[in-house]
Amino acid sequence: MAGFAGAYDSICGRAVNAAIIRIFGGGFQVTLAPDLLDKLSRIVGANKLLMDAEAHVQYGRDWTRVETPSPAAVALPGSIEQVQALVQLANAEGLAIVPSGGRTGLSGGAVAARGELVVALDNLNQIGAFNSIDRSVVCGAGVITEQLQQFAEDQGLHYPVDFASSGSSQIGGNVATNAGGIKVIRYGMTRDWVVGLKVVTGTGELLELNAGLIKNNAGYDLRHLMIGSEGTLGIIVEVTIRLCRAPTDLAVMVLGVPDMPSIMSTLAEFRQQMELTAFEFFSEPALQKVVAHQDLQRPFDEPCAYYALLEFEQTSGSEMDQAMALFEHCLEQGWVLDGVVSQSVAQARNLWRLREDISETIARWAPYKNDLSVVVSKVPEFLTAVEALVNAAYPDFEIIWYGHIGDGNVHLNILKPESLSIADFAEQCGEVSKGVFEIVREHRGSVSAEHGVGVLKKPYLPYSRSPLEIELMRAIKRSFDPNGVLNPGKIFDL
Amino acid sequence: MKVLVAVKRVVDYNVKVRAKADGTGADLNNVKMAINPFCEIAIEEAVRLKEAGVATEVIAVSIGDKSCQEQIRTALALGADRGIQVETDGSPEPLVVAKLLKGVIAKEEPQLVILGKQSIDGDNNQTGQMLGALTNMPQGTFASEIKVEGDKLNVTREIDGGLQTIALNLPAIVTTDLRLNEPRYASLPNIMKAKKKQLDVYTPADLGVEPSAHLTTVKVEPPAERQAGIIVESVEQLVDKLKNEAKVIS
Repeated sequence: MAGFAGAYDSICGRAVNAAIIRIFGGGFQVTLAPDLLDKLSRIVGANKLLMDAEAHVQYGRDWTRVETPSPAAVALPGSIEQVQALVQLANAEGLAIVPSGGRTGLSGGAVAARGELVVALDNLNQIGAFNSIDRSVVCGAGVITEQLQQFAEDQGLHYPVDFASSGSSQIGGNVATNAGGIKVIRYGMTRDWVVGLKVVTGTGELLELNAGLIKNNAGYDLRHLMIGSEGTLGIIVEVTIRLCRAPTDLAVMVLGVPDMPSIMSTLAEFRQQMELTAFEFFSEPALQKVVAHQDLQRPFDEPCAYYALLEFEQTSGSEMDQAMALFEHCLEQGWVLDGVVSQSVAQARNLWRLREDISETIARWAPYKNDLSVVVSKVPEFLTAVEALVNAAYPDFEIIWYGHIGDGNVHLNILKPESLSIADFAEQCGEVSKGVFEIVREHRGSVSAEHGVGVLKKPYLPYSRSPLEIELMRAIKRSFDPNGVLNPGKIFDL
Repeated sequence: MKVLVAVKRVVDYNVKVRAKADGTGADLNNVKMAINPFCEIAIEEAVRLKEAGVATEVIAVSIGDKSCQEQIRTALALGADRGIQVETDGSPEPLVVAKLLKGVIAKEEPQLVILGKQSIDGDNNQTGQMLGALTNMPQGTFASEIKVEGDKLNVTREIDGGLQTIALNLPAIVTTDLRLNEPRYASLPNIMKAKKKQLDVYTPADLGVEPSAHLTTVKVEPPAERQAGIIVESVEQLVDKLKNEAKVIS
């Protein structure tokens, strides 16, 4: 999430068949007309139309807490036809729809705070046809990522897109946000595993895209427009996913390094000779906090400025020797100071936790978070520039760095000093944001590497995208969703 | 004080073990192997004794084919000074292991022998106790804490309902329980150094032992598959089923 961007001012701007009452705190309370409620419940069934306040909070927000959830209703369609009917009704009645998956997003893309109808795909959760020759499987949008991973494992295969929220995120949401995660260096993003899509467009029509093909150069590939569109172009209802061979005997190394350029040299050295399945990094303050709060062991006592976590498969039996030789070389060059390697699956998991538990650990400091990327080679200078900016303006702010450095993707976290109130901290972070994004622009990086834009990054989209690009995005949006019913106010305003 | 630590190569405890189709044993093809977790704790304890200046030398011994040298090297990387492999085919049963360890003890004369309380493959929990009987050394099993005081060793044991502390005369045998310590990671520089440490290979004959089998594995089969559960409609139905189908209440 992009820190504490102010609430946006305009709603979808269309007449809604409902009474909208502005309530305390800038939120909205919406009461739908009884006949509209009746029409909705005729589509999904009365027990699949949730009207209680608790459900509205649960389904009205993602992992961000900046906006107050306030949907008008939550519908849980049980079929693609019902999704189509809901979209058609929304067009007829001027109702805005927020498509909803596992709501683990960090940019507010699934937040319903303006009296929208939440269309949650939870019940489209069937894993359908599996083909062992195509190595593909058809999933309803509501299938949980972990469920798909388990299904693949049961078939002796593997679904490699993995991240901390895989126990609750849904495939439809993964596709809508092009989710990345911890194995991107080897396996790419969600986009790389989608071979077919069924999408309900903004007019309620059903699009079937690509149908599982590997090669299909017959015109524009609309599938890739849908991937990462954050629910603004269509509601993803079914996904055909490609699976791959399961990795064998993964070994995890954690290396201590003196500075960022050394991490880059180490990465280059390893990648030249080995296929890595992960290359992550975190800073000493991040390690200290994780070790203190998660009951984990330090990898070694000697504190280092940064740590690199790398992972590789051991298929032939010679990879460990090769990795040892590379480590020795990096040690001689002074790029690494110390290191450990997992000797068992349990150790591999605990070493991963040093990296993966950071986000949860630092949550207690109400951190300002940013998910940024630059080309891999520019990461060190980018980090230096951001640190200089923050340290000059706010010397008492503690910066926690970690991320997928093998992908050029860093997570910038600034912890709230105890002396500051949440509001004051938010205000100061808002100032920091502008400076940080200015540095992103100078480095031609992205203001959102893998978290999407949602509402939180919306004000900053121009730092990464040209006016021409954004205008073309608006034109695409209008082609798929002429009445603007799908997730209005997300990514950009029309 | 010289400390001897026994180390066993076993299937990594996070691996889901499958029975061979013919029921003769577990399928170990391409399965991840690791040091038995209790042996890992034994090494850690020995290395801590050395770091505290109590132990002077730590020797890691493993029994098995050549592949167990991998686990000896790990023990050396964790801080053991030298290694011994007793070369055998397959996995000998606890009595044979105890006899072979007795042979190593005769050669090395350690003051303290630390073993895991059991290995997670056979789950026998016999070797330490058999070794105590064969060598006539006192034993402290299921140790959660050990302290050397002069020529005595105080061992805190985890027993049903609490802890028991016993004092043993050295030389003694200790078997480790889970809470004795948390083993460290193998550092990469130490793994490099471990490659140069001494590793001797003995045959059972060198130790005057004739490996013999007293046990025959009749059959290895997976546990019965759990039947799918059902969701009951009401409390009444649940009570009815508990009463009349499961017959757990009356």
